[in-house]
Amino acid sequence: MRGRLTHETIHLLERFNKAAKRQVHSLQEFFVLGGKSIGFAFSRPFYGGDLVQQMEAIGVQSLSIVLLTGFFTGMVLALQASVQLKTFGATMLIGRFVSASMIRELGPLLAGLMVAGRVGSGIAAQLGSMRVTEQIDALNTLGTDPIRKLVTPRVLATLIMLPTLTVINDFAGILGGSVIAWAYVKIPVALYWRTVWEQIAAGGFIFRYIPNDFVHGLVKPFVFGGIIAVVACNFGLKTSGGTEGVGVATTRTVVTSSILILMTDYFITQLLLAFLGS
Amino acid sequence: MSDRPDDRSDERRSHEPAPAREGTGFPVRRGADRERVRAAIRTELEGDEEALSQAETREYHAGDPSHHRVIALQNVHLAFDEPILEDVSFAAVEGETIVVAGESGTGKSTILKLLLRLLVPDRGNVYIDDEEITQLNFPDALKVRQKMGMVFQGAALFDSMTVFENIAYPLREHTALTEAEIEERVHEKLSFVDLDPDRVIDQLPSELSGGMRKRVGIARGMANNPEIMLYDEPTSGLDPLTTATITHLIIKLQRELGVTSIVVSHDIRSAFKMASKIAVLANRKIAFFGSPEELSGSDDKYLRDFLGGY
Repeated sequence: MRGRLTHETIHLLERFNKAAKRQVHSLQEFFVLGGKSIGFAFSRPFYGGDLVQQMEAIGVQSLSIVLLTGFFTGMVLALQASVQLKTFGATMLIGRFVSASMIRELGPLLAGLMVAGRVGSGIAAQLGSMRVTEQIDALNTLGTDPIRKLVTPRVLATLIMLPTLTVINDFAGILGGSVIAWAYVKIPVALYWRTVWEQIAAGGFIFRYIPNDFVHGLVKPFVFGGIIAVVACNFGLKTSGGTEGVGVATTRTVVTSSILILMTDYFITQLLLAFLGS
Repeated sequence: MSDRPDDRSDERRSHEPAPAREGTGFPVRRGADRERVRAAIRTELEGDEEALSQAETREYHAGDPSHHRVIALQNVHLAFDEPILEDVSFAAVEGETIVVAGESGTGKSTILKLLLRLLVPDRGNVYIDDEEITQLNFPDALKVRQKMGMVFQGAALFDSMTVFENIAYPLREHTALTEAEIEERVHEKLSFVDLDPDRVIDQLPSELSGGMRKRVGIARGMANNPEIMLYDEPTSGLDPLTTATITHLIIKLQRELGVTSIVVSHDIRSAFKMASKIAVLANRKIAFFGSPEELSGSDDKYLRDFLGGY
């Protein structure tokens, strides 16, 4: 009995060992892919045309979804703030509330999650389809490095476009808040925008002119963009099992990148608060 | 040369079918049987003028020792979770067409991936143009791949690009040709594969039939004028007429351009028409390597079953 138990324990440990090794290997592949894709941005050949194409696909085509998300989120924030602040007689501070929430947290987070859903899934499906129809192998046989040709433009485009989309999302959110503040709470538009700026100024400045809120709001989408693009490319390139595999890669991309975005958001916030103060 | 795989094939560069292949255990029929087999092959090729010309070309190459080995696999072993290939060796001299045949899942396509260095063997060597490629780094492997054109089973055309852009892709990547020269080359290659350039050039792969996609795949593979062409199941899933067209194209490439080809296929009829030599994979090993005549003449039960009375 004891011997059998030992054997089972060893078997269990071996399985655990294999699973752990697989996970570590996956993690390693993820970082290697990310490193290579960035490294290829500084050497030739560089596919500039593909970068512009991806910036259009990732950024411009995500504009409407980000505008809508931001605008309605800002409206909801203003509405909820008006109810809560009314009890203190402080409805004039709606602008500060919306601004702080949108620029520091909700703007980057929502833009990241929306882009993970729209762009991440698209990248994984596209590269996955290319993998299962042997187009990735075809690139290899034609003497092209698929990472340089496919991954680098997508990673760079996401790194550039997600912060841009976040700024637009922030603005749309604050605008949505101003509509509610003016139409529902009857706060003058000028007062609303003045409180928005007061909130930004209250957060402090780095290098004298750059508001800390903007640093919070732009560092996060930059990191989220890298996560989305590398996760999507990684799962896309590793797709196997035909069309079903493409579906699996797409789902895994959205789930993994969403979870990673939410997790890293916490750690980035901690770090930024530690370095920049409140 | 002695360190190259299967040096015995030098001895086989003659019009006469080789004696029983040493070490394989698959003896070849002799005498009257041999004549019968030859007659059967001639009958099969009768009425197929191009194939006959190719057969002559094949004999020319088989007897010409001046041609060097373009492709060679030497004692290659490969395993993933299970063994895939064991002690696989064969070589192709310049201008030869080697057909790698075998049942599904025997590792035929894996051989192409080894030649392209998309895979690296666990043991053994792979030579392209006398260069050992298993130890090459990734950028050097990309350079070696430029010597080869690959035609995939499903054509693997880039579905977001037009036919023109697909064929122009390797030219834009690796040559300094002007756009006018590229356009001329694309037209030339499309005409070679019997497609009307003006009709198909702006079409997307999704707008083409299976046979047309295969032909565009061949045109893209040969765009850079490679010295080696690799085909993965070029005739699978095609109707008999399109199969004959693709087979003729492969023969035409070898005959007119002297391209060395490795064709992975289980289409025995086409294999006999185009092959200088046939390698049969069975149980992870080369069960037979020799001329189509030798294969037809084999007494081995497995080979006879595999040929299905062909």
